[in-house]
Amino acid sequence: MYEKQILICAGTGCISSGSMHVQESLSEELKKHGLQDKVRIILSGCHGFCEKGPIFIVYPEDIFYCEVKVEDVPELVEEHLVKGNVVERLLYKDPVSEKRVFSHKDIPFYSKQKRQILRNCGVIDPENIDEYIIRGGYSGMKKALYMDPLEIINTVKSSGLRGRGGAGFPTGMKWEFGYRSPGDKKYVVCNADEGDPGAFMDRSVLEGDPHAVLEGLIIAGRAIGSDEAYIYVRAEYPLAIRRLRKAIAQAEEYGFLGNNILDSGTNFKINIKEGAGAFVCGEETALLASIEGERGIPRPRPPFPAVKGLWGKPTCINNVETLANVPLILRNGAEWYSAVGTEGSKGTKIFAVTGKVNNTGLCEVPMGISLREIVFDIGGGIRGGKKYKAVQIGGPSGGCIPEELLDLPVDFDSLTAKGAMMGSGGMVVMDEDTCMVDLARYFLSFTQSESCGKCTPCREGTKRMLEILERITQGKGEPDDIERLEKLALSVKDSALCGLGQTAPNPVLTTLRYFRDEYEAHIFDRRCPAGVCKDLLSYYIDPELCIGCRACTKACPAEAISGEKKEPHVIDETKCIRCGACFERCKKGAVKTR
Amino acid sequence: MQPVTLTINRQEVSGHPGMTILELARESGINIPTICHHAKLAPIGACRFCLVENEQNGALLASCVTPIAPGMIINTESPRVLEHRKMILKLILASHPDSCLVCDKGNQCQLRLLAADLGIGLIELDRIPQPAVTEEVNPFIVRDMSKCILCARCIRACQELVIEGALDYFGRGFKAKPATLNNFPLEYSECTFCGTCVALCPTGALMEKEALYRGAIGDAVQTTCPYCGCGCSISLEIKDNQVARVKPAFEEQDNQEALCVKGSYGCDFIHSPKRLTKPLIKVNGDFQEASWEEALAVVAGAFNKIKKEHGADSLAVLGSANCTNEENYLLQMFARCVLGTNNIDNGSSLYYNATLRAFSESFGFPGITHSLKDLEQAEVILLIGASPEASAPLVNYLIKRAVKLRGAKLIVIDPRRTKLTFFADCWLQPKVGTDLALLNSLAKVIIEENLIDHEFVARKTDKFQLLAEILGNYPLEMGEAVTGVGVEQIRQAARLYAAAGKAAIIYGTGITQQALGVESVKALINLTLLTGNIWRKGGGLHALQRDCNAQGACDMGALPDYLPGYQHVGEAEARNIFETRWDVILPSTPGAGALEIIRQSREGKIKGLYITGENPLAGFPQAALVKEALATLEFLVVQDLFLTETAKLAKVVLPAAGFAEKEGTFTNLEGKVQVIRKAIDPVGESMPDWEIILQLAGAMGKPLPFSSLQQVMDEIRELVPLYRNDRETNAPEEEDLWDTRFDYKLPLKTFPGFSLAEYAPPAGAPDDSYPYILLAETSLYRSGSGVRSTNSRRLSKYSSSFKLRINEVDAQKMGLSSGDQVRVVSPDGQLQAAVEITGSLPEGTVALPRSVPEHPVTGLFSSLPEAAAKTSARKTCYVRIERS
Repeated sequence: MYEKQILICAGTGCISSGSMHVQESLSEELKKHGLQDKVRIILSGCHGFCEKGPIFIVYPEDIFYCEVKVEDVPELVEEHLVKGNVVERLLYKDPVSEKRVFSHKDIPFYSKQKRQILRNCGVIDPENIDEYIIRGGYSGMKKALYMDPLEIINTVKSSGLRGRGGAGFPTGMKWEFGYRSPGDKKYVVCNADEGDPGAFMDRSVLEGDPHAVLEGLIIAGRAIGSDEAYIYVRAEYPLAIRRLRKAIAQAEEYGFLGNNILDSGTNFKINIKEGAGAFVCGEETALLASIEGERGIPRPRPPFPAVKGLWGKPTCINNVETLANVPLILRNGAEWYSAVGTEGSKGTKIFAVTGKVNNTGLCEVPMGISLREIVFDIGGGIRGGKKYKAVQIGGPSGGCIPEELLDLPVDFDSLTAKGAMMGSGGMVVMDEDTCMVDLARYFLSFTQSESCGKCTPCREGTKRMLEILERITQGKGEPDDIERLEKLALSVKDSALCGLGQTAPNPVLTTLRYFRDEYEAHIFDRRCPAGVCKDLLSYYIDPELCIGCRACTKACPAEAISGEKKEPHVIDETKCIRCGACFERCKKGAVKTR
Repeated sequence: MQPVTLTINRQEVSGHPGMTILELARESGINIPTICHHAKLAPIGACRFCLVENEQNGALLASCVTPIAPGMIINTESPRVLEHRKMILKLILASHPDSCLVCDKGNQCQLRLLAADLGIGLIELDRIPQPAVTEEVNPFIVRDMSKCILCARCIRACQELVIEGALDYFGRGFKAKPATLNNFPLEYSECTFCGTCVALCPTGALMEKEALYRGAIGDAVQTTCPYCGCGCSISLEIKDNQVARVKPAFEEQDNQEALCVKGSYGCDFIHSPKRLTKPLIKVNGDFQEASWEEALAVVAGAFNKIKKEHGADSLAVLGSANCTNEENYLLQMFARCVLGTNNIDNGSSLYYNATLRAFSESFGFPGITHSLKDLEQAEVILLIGASPEASAPLVNYLIKRAVKLRGAKLIVIDPRRTKLTFFADCWLQPKVGTDLALLNSLAKVIIEENLIDHEFVARKTDKFQLLAEILGNYPLEMGEAVTGVGVEQIRQAARLYAAAGKAAIIYGTGITQQALGVESVKALINLTLLTGNIWRKGGGLHALQRDCNAQGACDMGALPDYLPGYQHVGEAEARNIFETRWDVILPSTPGAGALEIIRQSREGKIKGLYITGENPLAGFPQAALVKEALATLEFLVVQDLFLTETAKLAKVVLPAAGFAEKEGTFTNLEGKVQVIRKAIDPVGESMPDWEIILQLAGAMGKPLPFSSLQQVMDEIRELVPLYRNDRETNAPEEEDLWDTRFDYKLPLKTFPGFSLAEYAPPAGAPDDSYPYILLAETSLYRSGSGVRSTNSRRLSKYSSSFKLRINEVDAQKMGLSSGDQVRVVSPDGQLQAAVEITGSLPEGTVALPRSVPEHPVTGLFSSLPEAAAKTSARKTCYVRIERS
């Protein structure tokens, strides 16, 4: 009989900050103290708070240790497990009150969240199907197996679930198309090609709760009349793939996959297809081409995959997060599900919050929560006390939301109305030090290099837009560049073949809409207000602060700095190459930019 | 199906469900400009130029890929559409060079035309330098990727029309380009230089290399390709009385999608400097130029003299499978009426005779069972003894399309591994020369496993019991022992063929030129009869033919035993029709066939020979004997485009005009009669063959009753049942569509019968002194006896080497490495060649290309005529290989 259980996070984030070494060292320490039969170690999925990894939780007390290192383990065992004293220095410290917090429930990062999809992540051992089952897993499937397909579809429809992959298409409706498409063979595909830089909720779900996705797939299969599924997962997610394979094997062993599942007469098989990591392969038709072994380029729709998809057969494609919602809806009913959220967007949504906030990581929030709550409560506000500027929602295809819209409720329709999009849920917070022109350039350079090259507007148009943005950030902007950029962006948005091209101009269009003045400053004043665009910077030395230590003179590769020892120095702007070496070297903060 | 009604540009239109907006708009006379769209290719919606606005919901739709839907309100030129359309074109132009002044695409460049149409001049976007010309050494195609606009027409042409897959997207985004695997030059790829991509390229990115003329040409004449039996429609672009360029005639012909390298780039033989321009008369061993009057007088005098001294049968005529129907018709008339002999044959008899004989005996009539279009319905295709990828590229495309795009199953029976074996569901590799045993084994499985079409066999065929009984005597294991193909594989192939509702057979010279050619064709007929695949669409038998008018030459009676339309010379009733019309008495005993003519010439029985458009010295077996025979003749006259090896032996050489310089018709391997049109004037003083024949008949004092080609055509239509055309004759456009196939069933008077030929091991089986089997292979870059392909500058430049292909194991045994010079020795001759080691031939088999006049591989074969087909085995012989 175990007396204690210790959860160590084995998500990709914590593994890379060393959680596996912590686990090894813990086993050894436990043996040393003869505790190996009394304390059980469980490797859990991601807790979302990757910023503070590795995460180490002791049950039943529910003590949340963070940033645990190998050298902390002897102390933890000795103090906590043997003597029963909490090691306070390893507890989470609230950045505002500077108080130590014992349970994760009391950490603001968690307290504002509503963890439905992530309910099991960080709680169960993802490699053990029993733990999933104990927490109600596969009961949704069991129900669905004995339901009429249309009944399942109607349940999902009235739950109001919309696709979490980006476009927000009603899932029940998609399934109904698949159900009504005639065909002897149909497929269900799970889109796990999470391509947005910075978004990793799908990975976390796959790693932390793989059975939820399998259960969702089986229910989807039952609903549309398919007996085979593919999970298209990027090869850069080796842990997710390993856990999926293990989960599939376990589900097969338990008779949840294979022929005649639980004597219902339903057959279902799940295959895994590893993708090579092209962003465009997250677009559903390109994804299908890739599964078929073709080059991953989008095909025109119609015909939609629900009519003519994988190998020409009716196919339903759902994102990981969408599928992970499905078992909950079946288990708890549509009404339960739709109780959370807004009019048009039901349930919860996972965001990957990154950028200039105090707490970065995954958070699951009810639809309709305000941006302010995410950024300032869950995210803990802007790092270093700087000023909030904008948040980029929806990854490189999304848009920027400025300060005046901070109280915007986060749901599909409000975001779209403001030029951004839910996307897969990436959320990059920016402070006053971010140049919005440079940001647009950065995101466009991503989509531009990920363009497949098939259609003209995306192939040529994104290149030309990037060219103009580069010109502006280099201080070579021309007066009519803004107009030209806007025209190009609208043409690309309107006329590109697939979602990649149609959304690629979003960062440009939203920054033009909310931060036009920054563009104008770059073009007309040859000035970067945020001080980011190197070519527009000029360095100067504040004579008040300069002590004449000569550190900058030595650092300058262009011999642009002169001045007598112990006297204030001066930078010759004609010689300065704006490398920033003096800026970094000065200990007094006397070198400044303008 | 209910029509779909919608509005396009405020006009109510309706179309059938599944139609695209573009299709319906064009049908309704509304033009939507396009770039990547092409009627021959599946639409991909890539260029986005054809965007239209659906005013119902403000959506912009690519009209080429969007199906019509009820209630749509489409505007093809809304301000938004126009603005985006202009932007797209500007974007394309921004990465396209400004070299229009010097670009050969000139006014045919679609990009330039569209820019002019939309009024786009200089654009405000910066130019970004694009990749330069790809270095390529092939003489056919030049790629300048800086002009590529990535419409992907070339990629689709390569993957959808000719299914070579040489081109695909390469790179991503702005750097994406169509390229070969690893971006290698074309010659290191799967490319066969068919030129389809070049013909479809809207800009100057893909252009013909080493063309006669640079720049765009407006004048084009549609005609028929003079190379193989496929009979592709080609369009000749004419400039200054020269054929400057050849293109597939897809605008004009619905069914023409792609040509091959010979069609696209091989017609430059027309303007070879080696063309004969004047009649030549041999004086003291040297040729001297002469006038037509002089030359014809010499020929007429000699023929009249020989006839008078030795009788009509001491004269013979060899017609040509490359001459028109009208010319062959006149030629057989010349032989029968002017000379008075049935000693007439054409070169195709060396490979087509087996089909003619087997069809006559089994069906009672030699003809064509199916059109090539029917292959589009076949569920299973059985390919045996044929390399359509070299000898009939169009058929090759059709097979691959059926497999790749339609999921048809392919059975390949070939000892060699070819490109098509990669498409096969079932590939049987019998030992060379054992096809008959294999085919009988297939028939045995079909009967044994009761896979036959009982109703068809019982009601419509004859002699089934006989076949069943004889096959019953042979255990299947015997088939395995003879052919080397396992019993299970035989069963698998038989089941696959028989189970299909529609199964077609395609065979070529690998069957017809075997020692057991006739028997093998009959065995193929047995398979079609057993499974009822004979008059069913998608079934049937397709015999590949090497020459453009092999079918026509035979249809026209350029044969020793048949009058036009396969009416036997022995039948008085048939003779009577022609005798009445021509007012002569026709010889009634069958004359000498091609090889027999050579034999009798050597024996001195035949003293005068008239050869038109054939080159026996390079194409017939035992070249040494042929040379001896022709040298023995008292008088030889050769009529050709070039001074061939054969022509050099002649007393008089008459310069003939090529296919582009005359009118007439060719009949292709599916029995389609197609017009050839005069595009340029005859080169020098050369004359069309038909005119020469008429003038010669006149010079001999027995003029034939025609004063124009039209009169010959009319008579053919009247007297040859296959060519009877019920349509209005004075509707010239329709002449292209004459189709003998429809008349095929008319002459069928008997039930088709099964026949059984038992396999017998070939005579002259390998012994120690000749341990290898030599295959004469058809090459894509050569044709016939090689006269025209050798004189095509580009074809001969690309494919000039003469190589012996040999399996690596055999090469190792002999210590040979690639490039080594060897002597290939048969009992009847020897040839020098360089070694090329290959993995695609089985051990013990070597291969040489045919159609290289300076190295006539047929010269190695024995001319022992095989009894029934009057052809000898010309596909294989036994050889030994010596280092030289």
